[in-house]
Amino acid sequence: MAQMPVRPTEPVPPPPAATRRGGRGRRRREDVAGYVFLSPWLLGLMGITAIPMVLSLYLSFTDYSPLIDVGEAEWIGLDNYREMFTADPSYWHAVRVTVTFALVAVPLKLAAALGVALLLNRAFKGIAFFRGMFYLPSLLGGSVAVAIVWRSMFNREGAVNSFLGFFGIEGAPWVNDPQWALETLMLLAIWQFGAPMVIFLAGLKQVPAELYEAAAVDGAGAWRQFTHITLPMLSPVIFFNLVLETIHGFQGFTSAFVLSGGTGGPVDSTLMYTLHLYNKGFVELNMGYASAMAWVFLLVVGLITVVLFNTGKFWVHYSDNEER
Amino acid sequence: MEPITRGVTPAQRTSSRHRTRRRLLAAALTLPLLVGAAACGGDDEGGSSGDKVELSIFWWGAEKRAELTEKALDLYTAKHPNVTFKKTWQANQGYFDKLATLTAGGNAPDIFQMDDNYLSEYAERNVTLDLKPYADEGKLDITKISKGLIDYGTVDGKLAGLSMGENTQGLVYDKTLLAKHKLPEPKTGMSWEDFISWAATVSKTAKVPGTQDPSAVYQALWVYLRQNGKDLYNGKTLAFDEADITKWFQLWKGAREAGATPTPDVIHEGNATDISKQLVVTGKAGTSWVWVNQMPELKKNTESELGVIAYPGDTSAQWARGSMYFSAFRGTEHKDTVIDVLNFLANDPEAGKILGTDRGLPPNLEVRKTVAETVTDPAMKQTIAVQDELSKLFGPTSPGVPPSGHSKVKTELVRIAEEVQYGRQTPEQGAAAFVTAAKAAIGQS
Repeated sequence: MAQMPVRPTEPVPPPPAATRRGGRGRRRREDVAGYVFLSPWLLGLMGITAIPMVLSLYLSFTDYSPLIDVGEAEWIGLDNYREMFTADPSYWHAVRVTVTFALVAVPLKLAAALGVALLLNRAFKGIAFFRGMFYLPSLLGGSVAVAIVWRSMFNREGAVNSFLGFFGIEGAPWVNDPQWALETLMLLAIWQFGAPMVIFLAGLKQVPAELYEAAAVDGAGAWRQFTHITLPMLSPVIFFNLVLETIHGFQGFTSAFVLSGGTGGPVDSTLMYTLHLYNKGFVELNMGYASAMAWVFLLVVGLITVVLFNTGKFWVHYSDNEER
Repeated sequence: MEPITRGVTPAQRTSSRHRTRRRLLAAALTLPLLVGAAACGGDDEGGSSGDKVELSIFWWGAEKRAELTEKALDLYTAKHPNVTFKKTWQANQGYFDKLATLTAGGNAPDIFQMDDNYLSEYAERNVTLDLKPYADEGKLDITKISKGLIDYGTVDGKLAGLSMGENTQGLVYDKTLLAKHKLPEPKTGMSWEDFISWAATVSKTAKVPGTQDPSAVYQALWVYLRQNGKDLYNGKTLAFDEADITKWFQLWKGAREAGATPTPDVIHEGNATDISKQLVVTGKAGTSWVWVNQMPELKKNTESELGVIAYPGDTSAQWARGSMYFSAFRGTEHKDTVIDVLNFLANDPEAGKILGTDRGLPPNLEVRKTVAETVTDPAMKQTIAVQDELSKLFGPTSPGVPPSGHSKVKTELVRIAEEVQYGRQTPEQGAAAFVTAAKAAIGQS
C-alpha cells in the first residue's frame, strides 16, 4: 500500500520525555513491550503476507502447479516472464482492459465523490440522512450481491432497459454486449464513490471559513472561490484519494468476476488483469505463471504510485509549507 | 478467497520426504484455509479395520445430489459403524479452484468427485490414487462395469477415477412451446441442415429462436467432428484441423443468418455452464445442448414439458461418456477403507437405488437394471428410457479421456466462437485462432 507523503509540517517536537527520564533500560523494556503489542499484527504480516510473497517470487521462476509439491516445481528461469510479454495475447489484452478501466473509472469516481461532497458540505435539515444514503453503495462495496444485482439490471430485459423504454430508447444488452460490458463495470465502480466522498467531506470541513469570507469581500464568485480556495486547500486530500483509488482501480476483481461468471467475457471484454491472473493460477493451474503476473503487477502499480507522488510536487498544496 | 469454515479435511500426511515441503507450502499459500481445517484437528490413527476412521469426501452438485449422496454414505456408516464421513459439497463453479487449493495445502479430501476436464491433470500430477491394483486384487469390483467407462477413467494405464455415471449428449427441446404453436418435434437422426431449417421455422412461428447456437458447446463440436471422421483429440494431440472448425463456424453463421438462433448476447447468456441459465429453461430458445443426466435439474427450472433426443446427424458418433468420477487421494491414510467405500458406491444395489441416475446411469450394469425397474422419480425414469434408446445407436468406438489442458480448450472455444458470433471474426479467422489456442492449451507444438 502507498503511504502518505511525509512532509515536515511543523517543527519537530522535542523527543518524548520518557527517554530523558528513564534512560536506556527503560527504553529497551518499552521496546519489548511495543513489539509484544505489535506481535499479533507482525505474525499476521509474516505468515499471511510476507512469507507467501517471497515464496511467490520463487514460484514465478518455476512451472509450479498447485497439484504438486513446491519442491517438485521445475526452475524455468525467466520463461514465465518471457511468455507473458511475447507469447500470451490475452495478457496484453488484459493490460489494455485494466488500464482503460482505471483511466476512465478513477477520475470519474473522484469527480463524483467531490461533487457529492460539495453538495453535502452544507447545513440543512436531514443532512445526516443524505450523507448516509450516498455512502451506502460503498458499504455494499466489493460485495458479490451488488454485482449480481448489477448483472440483472443491465441485461437486455433488465430494469435499466425498461426505464429507457419509457423514453422510446432501445438499450443495449449491456453486460452481454462486448461493446458495453466494460462500461457497465466502470459505472458500478463509479457508483461506489462513498469512501472518497467521506474523505473529501472531512477535507472540506478543514478549509477555514474566513478564506471564503475574505474572498467574497474581494468580490470572488463561487467558481473563483472553488478554483482558488477549495481546490488548492483540498489538494492533499485529492492526492490521497487519487493514490488510493488508482491502486484500487487496478486491483478490480470481484465485480468483473461476478459479472462475467469468472470468464472475463463476453469475448474477454471484461478480462481485468487480476481476473486473468486468477484464471491462470486456479483454472489452468499454472501457478508459476500467475505468480510472475502478480509480481509484474506489483512492480507496475508501485511504479505508478511513485510517479503520482512525484507529480504531486507540482500540484499538491500544503498550506503549512508556505508559511515558512 | 473465502476461508473454509466447514471443515473439509484433517491434514493428510504424505510421505515424510515431502512432508516438510508440503508443510511449508501449506503454511505459506493457504494459511487462511488451514486455520479452518486445523480447527478440525488432525487424525493420525492407523487405517486397520475396526479402528474409528473418518473419511473426508468432497463433491459438487445441487441439493438433490447432496441429499442422495449423504443418504448413501449414511448407509455405509450403518453397515460399518467405525467409518464416518466428513461431507463437503458445493456448486460446480469454484469447485475445482477449491480442490486445487486444498491439494496445494496437502489437504486433498480422501475421496473427491472429478470430471473429464481435470482427470488427466490430476492423474498426471499423481494426486489421484491408482485404483487398478485394487481392482486386480479384487478389492474393487469393476467386472460389472462396461469397459468403455473404465477406459474413460484410465490415464496413462492408471485407473485414476471410478466412473459414477454413464451419460450421453442430449438435445433438449421445449415440448410445451412446440405444441402451443402446432410445430413438429425434432427427431433423432435429423441432419444438421434439416435441424437448422426446423429451428428457423420455430423462430418464425413461435417468435422464440428455435435453438441455442451450439458453436461454443464443445460436446456438440465433438460429435460433429466424429461424424466427419475426425475427433477432438488423438491422445495428446488435436484430431481436427482448421478446415473442420471453419465448416463448423460457417454452419452456425448460416443458422444465425437464417434466424434459427438467438442474438449473440442471448447466446452468450446460454453459454454459461449453470444449468438454470440454459436457454430452453429460461424460455429464450426452443432447444439447448446438454447431457442427458441433466434432465431432472433442467425440469426443476421450467414449467414447460421437456423432450430430449440425440444431437443431429449420425448418432453412431455419440458415445457413453463417464460423466463423473470419484477419485481417491494418493496421500490418504486409509487406502483400504477408501477403496471399500468406492466399491460400495459403485456396486452395492441399495446404494445404487439411493443414488439413482443423478450422476448418470449407474455404472454397474446389474445395479442399473434394478434401478431401472424400481425408480420412481419421473425425470430419472425419462433419463433412463432415453439413454437406453440412444445407447442402441452408439457406434463401436468411444473417445479416451481428454488430455491435460482440456478445460482451457473449452474456454478458448467459448471465447473464439463468441468472437465469431458477435461478428468480430470471420469463421476462417476464428478457426485459425482456435486451432492455435487449443494446441497451446494442451501443449502440442
